[in-house]
Amino acid sequence: MKYIKNISLATLLALVFAACETVINPELKNAEPLLVVDAWITNKPGAQTIILSQSQAYFDNTLPPPVSNATVTVIENGTKTYTFTEEPTRKGYYTWSPSGNQVFGTVGNTYKLTIQVNGETYEASSKMGPVSPVDSIVFKKNEPTQLNPDFYRAQFYAKDVIGRGDTYWIKTYKNGVLLNKPSELNVAYDAGFDSGGPFFSRVENGVPILVDFIPPIRNRMNPNDTDANDNALSPYVPGDSAYVEIHSITLAGFTYLRQLGEQTNRPGGFAELFSRPLANISTNINNANPNGKKALGFFNVAAVSGKGKKFVQ
Amino acid sequence: MLRFFTFLFVFASCATLYAQPAGKFTISGYMKDAANGEALIGATVYITETGTGGITNEYGFYSITLPPANYTLHYSYVGYASVTKTITLSKSERFDIELSADDQQLQEVIIQADIEQANVQNLEMSTNKLDISTIKKVPSFLGEADLLRSLQLLPGVSTVGEGAAGFNVRGGSVGQNLILLDEAPVYNSSHLLGFFSVFNPDAVKDTKLYKGGIPSRYGGRLSSLLDVRMKEGNSKKFEATGGIGSIFSRLAIEAPIVKDKASFIVAVRRSYIDVLARPFVPLLKNGGALNFYDITLKTNYNINPKNRIYLSGYFGRDNFFFERNQGFSWGNATATLRWNHIFNDRLFSNFTAVYSNYDYKLQFGRNDNDSFKWNSQISNYIFKPQFTYFINSNNELNFGGEAIFYTFEPANAVGVSNGAPTDVSIPKKNNLETALYISNSQKISPKLSIDYGLRYSLFNYFGPDSVYTYSNETPGTRRLPIASRYYKSGEVIATYGNWEPRVSFKLQTSPTSSVKGSYNRMVQYLHLISNTTASNPLDVWNPSTNNVKPQIGDQLTVGWFKDLGASRMYELSFEAYYRKTQNQLDYIDGADLLINRYLEGDLLSGEGRAYGLESYFQKKTGRLTGWVAYTLSRTELKVDGINSGNWYPTRFNQTHNLKIAAFYEINKRWSFSANFIYTSGTPTTFPTSRFVSQGILVPYNAEDTRNNVNLPAYHRLDISFQLNGKKLKRNGKERKNTDYWVFGLYNVYARQNPFSIYFSQNNDQRVPQGQPISSQATQLAIIGTIVPSVSYNFKF
Repeated sequence: MKYIKNISLATLLALVFAACETVINPELKNAEPLLVVDAWITNKPGAQTIILSQSQAYFDNTLPPPVSNATVTVIENGTKTYTFTEEPTRKGYYTWSPSGNQVFGTVGNTYKLTIQVNGETYEASSKMGPVSPVDSIVFKKNEPTQLNPDFYRAQFYAKDVIGRGDTYWIKTYKNGVLLNKPSELNVAYDAGFDSGGPFFSRVENGVPILVDFIPPIRNRMNPNDTDANDNALSPYVPGDSAYVEIHSITLAGFTYLRQLGEQTNRPGGFAELFSRPLANISTNINNANPNGKKALGFFNVAAVSGKGKKFVQ
Repeated sequence: MLRFFTFLFVFASCATLYAQPAGKFTISGYMKDAANGEALIGATVYITETGTGGITNEYGFYSITLPPANYTLHYSYVGYASVTKTITLSKSERFDIELSADDQQLQEVIIQADIEQANVQNLEMSTNKLDISTIKKVPSFLGEADLLRSLQLLPGVSTVGEGAAGFNVRGGSVGQNLILLDEAPVYNSSHLLGFFSVFNPDAVKDTKLYKGGIPSRYGGRLSSLLDVRMKEGNSKKFEATGGIGSIFSRLAIEAPIVKDKASFIVAVRRSYIDVLARPFVPLLKNGGALNFYDITLKTNYNINPKNRIYLSGYFGRDNFFFERNQGFSWGNATATLRWNHIFNDRLFSNFTAVYSNYDYKLQFGRNDNDSFKWNSQISNYIFKPQFTYFINSNNELNFGGEAIFYTFEPANAVGVSNGAPTDVSIPKKNNLETALYISNSQKISPKLSIDYGLRYSLFNYFGPDSVYTYSNETPGTRRLPIASRYYKSGEVIATYGNWEPRVSFKLQTSPTSSVKGSYNRMVQYLHLISNTTASNPLDVWNPSTNNVKPQIGDQLTVGWFKDLGASRMYELSFEAYYRKTQNQLDYIDGADLLINRYLEGDLLSGEGRAYGLESYFQKKTGRLTGWVAYTLSRTELKVDGINSGNWYPTRFNQTHNLKIAAFYEINKRWSFSANFIYTSGTPTTFPTSRFVSQGILVPYNAEDTRNNVNLPAYHRLDISFQLNGKKLKRNGKERKNTDYWVFGLYNVYARQNPFSIYFSQNNDQRVPQGQPISSQATQLAIIGTIVPSVSYNFKF
């Protein structure tokens, strides 16, 4: 909600005044590099990968330096161990490969990640939450009130899992490309944006009431792309395909991604009036030694549902 | 509470029977503008023989008690020709005096040296008066005379930048200013975010900003009081004023209803950029709207010499709709009814009843099956009896009370998804704030005056509401609701009571200089919830609750005031202040502030301190007038869970703040105004490092500090020329109408003043896995260019 509100306000202001932006190179302080854990494991078929890298100086535009020679394991319910081994060709990529049709994990189980590297031990835990299927994807021409008459937008329909406190990350692939601009991050708390809201599926008097994700979440599957002249492009045109995945994430994962979006989605211009001050995003990776070096990043184990559709007129 | 008010009333009534001090008589009355009958606020009556005098109050009333003798009374007001009256005092007398505006265009020949010496002679300190003629002379953004933007030229007043709503006083936040429009609180003082203020300059008579030494009759905010008084309306003749500018058109009409007895003023403004742009912007043709307007009205009736009533109201709205059913609007509405009653020539009273409301609405969704509608509001009813008892020429007693009933509606929101509506509203909160106050302004010797007072405020939070208890977490992280309790309607959930002492003194060290000091404690029961870079119209006001304690601020101020020059045409002052605040709110990282039932779990509380030195030099007369104001200051917070628990500067901290305003009369028709502003850059947070998470580049500050660097300095020069219309017609006769043009240039040397610097990955691009992502820092200037303007103003 906040996002829509701020962007719209900023757009309207831009009609009246022109803000002015300059790319600058301020001097920043140096800091010691920290371990960055990018561990978003899913039950999708195929190999699962955890990426270990280091943080860099802010203006260092190279690939993040990989962290090699780590021991990476995930233990399910305290019993079953999955070992992630570093790929010989891709440094810092640690992979677990299934045998046969095996998938990673089971809904409801808990997982503990352990990383041993450079004499430090890092730990994180996660639980695989439930997810419901994507029911449908609908392409629709915008009503003629819109500025551009030939806009096609898509919406996906899916229902929240019964009960309060289910959190999701919705990922969209357009023609096989993941929409991963900071502005395209799409997370949901039950069927709405925030905790405490009443958009959630529930059972009332023995009757299940299933609630669809609210429209702003459904609409978020549309990319906001522009052409070379900064004119908005139609999110989808006939012939495009869209694939929507819903990942169940933990509450901590929801908070992490929400903060990630707030801190990285900086459209600039008048939206800066409503932006939040820069703050560090949380992490669930802890050093077993409380006085040891910190780590960044996140560990989440998700159940995933998905559906694709090709846009034909 | 009611009993207290009854008591006050009875007390006041008894005082009327109170015998005149033996062998003394009272001179009292109103002072008015001879041209339009407007009451003169802060006008002086000086008695040559005794060297004492009095000052008119907010309604233009004065009262002086003296032993019988022959006296020379000197009535004066800055910018007006004074009136001298010689009397033989042998009984109490009522003198209603009318002063005529000093119409000299050029002040080369000053007939009567009526120069305001208020700052040196008055007991008050830390106050600034801005009269509307000065506001109209200040070069302004898009040529619109603006009260709040002019206010920012005063020492101790600052803003985080263009477009930010509100203003900051002595290191206080935007929500710590009490803005009163004819006694009605205004919760959002801005149009179009912070570009314009809600006050129509054609309807405003007098503005006074209290930054410290706040009298005990006012309370409820920590850092300042902005008292805006509306014109009463010309009680002598019909008058219309107005203007056509780059963004607004204005029209104000005032006229007597019954000459010298009753009058009214109606003032209207509307932006018309949307009207002009409609043919060219499809968005506006399709039902979009982009406008703001306000209506200010006031009427008064002089029932008899002892009773007068005033009714005033304001209604303003900003509309931003990018389609017929999608967009926002917000605005204030206030209504004030006042009754001035003079119990006797020494006891003046005023009873005020106020309704004030601020609300905003948002709606989205192109059809009724999928939509979201949300509104939020704060409304209140106020009753305020106030009494001034002019005991004798050395004591002036003020006492009274105030009762405010608040209703907070943080969110009334309904979302419709697939035709199924869901109500996400947050229950409203009901509160009652009451206060009693008494203060005495006492002249101890010709050199020493003191004002001492006490205010007791009481705040109650009532049911019906569900109240939560929150878990204890590591400071800085979200606290979760662990228990809830429902309170029935009228049941008291939380109560806070506070004593608020207020003391100030003035020591006249010489006829032209004085030393003043003050201490005051202010208590604020409301909190403006905002964690964005700049305050904006969608910020929500929240009351103190069982979980959120009231804000308390203690301020200590000392100052030195000096008049200089042969005719005391210069004034110099220095003031130092220190304020300590408790229960200041900040927010956890990633806090949800809107439509969040468990908002309190995302709030952090800490302490604050602000200190500074303000210096002010003003030239008051001559062809060149103006001032230089320089403030050196710091404002900081210390909150567990932020900046590792260490002190950090607030977003509006400014070390240096220099303002120069100059007005020059070139000849009878042309005049020139300029202002220059230089302020240190406000603090912001810079990262040290970056990391990649799920293909997105994240800035990271390894030191985990808040506001660790300052933006580059802000400076700007604005100029304007005013061309007055010819005074005489072609045939030599005087024109009945007056008019003038204002040509302005805002940001003359087109500086791109930084509003913020933000860090982001390059151009919001999708980066495939395994590809490097480039990072960048962008500096944003809200107005990065020179803004010319023209406006035409008239009066007939």
